[in-house]
Amino acid sequence: MPQKYCVGMAELRIARAPDTLATYGIGSCVIVVMYDELQKLGGIVHIVLPDSTGISVDKVNPRKFADTAVPLLFQTMLHTGAVKKHLRVKLVGGAEMFPPSGDGFSSCIGAKNIECTRNALRDLGIPVVSQDVGGKSGRSLEFNLENGRVSVSVLGKESKEI
Amino acid sequence: MQDFCNLTEHQLDALGELGNIGSGNAATALAQFLNRKIDMDVPKAKILQVETIPELIGGHEASVMGIYLRVMGDFKGRFLLLMPESTTIRLLHILIPGSTVKRPEDLSEMESSCLKEIGNILAGSFLNALSVVTRTTMLHSLPTMAFDMAGALLDAVASEMLATSEHVLMIETSFKDDMENLKMHIFLLPEPESLGSLLEFLGVK
Repeated sequence: MPQKYCVGMAELRIARAPDTLATYGIGSCVIVVMYDELQKLGGIVHIVLPDSTGISVDKVNPRKFADTAVPLLFQTMLHTGAVKKHLRVKLVGGAEMFPPSGDGFSSCIGAKNIECTRNALRDLGIPVVSQDVGGKSGRSLEFNLENGRVSVSVLGKESKEI
Repeated sequence: MQDFCNLTEHQLDALGELGNIGSGNAATALAQFLNRKIDMDVPKAKILQVETIPELIGGHEASVMGIYLRVMGDFKGRFLLLMPESTTIRLLHILIPGSTVKRPEDLSEMESSCLKEIGNILAGSFLNALSVVTRTTMLHSLPTMAFDMAGALLDAVASEMLATSEHVLMIETSFKDDMENLKMHIFLLPEPESLGSLLEFLGVK
């Protein structure tokens, strides 16, 4: 019986076909979807913040920050049997949910999350094959481990595949 | 910096009482503005994983209007007003005679600015009361607003508070009017670094 597992903030989860991984209501967070097509093995990490620099190591949840979460997902995938040269990544999220207020404060946390995630992936040499990032809308995604397809939906629109 | 998880029951009660004072003032202001009776749930201060907050308002994918302000000054935090689609539309019909808007996606400039003004009034009256009780300066930014999934709005508001903790401290209450069921939720999330001084003002450090 195929299962569907939800991956919450700062969580990491690995699964195999025929299961599905899902994340609902993604705002400024970035979801890294990593897939080994040959083994039908995949994983998701739900990144909340860009950079763990300056935070003492014992307080860092490595699944929360782009600079630590990406290598952790990669290592976990390898330990579970994935092969590096088969790994492909899809990125989802990193929206700016609230427009800047009239007095100019804005966090740009979504854009920083995307940038740091891309940097970490580049350092590991894992290609990003498709993405649905940035913008102003929240997203939900479902990742089908059978074929690596990721369907992304936003409020009030048909879901699309990336 | 104090970790939220170390707060005692007594301290949480004191913070809840602070929420009571703020919400009472905000409910009165809203009642005057709308010229109708507004009921309020007893506010609670809770330590929660951000993950679980959307469950209070119908799940991660529930479509809600979020009006968000930052609190600055001696006390720092984030003030978020969430209201379901139905409340948003009803409010506009009450406040703007002749408004025929049916979906939050189709708001006119006038209707958007009207909702932001509600955020302004609620945040202003809530924080004013807190400011008097704690004898601290609390200022707030102008409101910003978005209509989207509850989970997505909350992660955008709370993510920066999660650097060193998995939890947020949330003072939460909900308002409604029994005639038209104008349900809405108010969340005040103190920044972790403001918690110590807040407890000191309350005499429960």
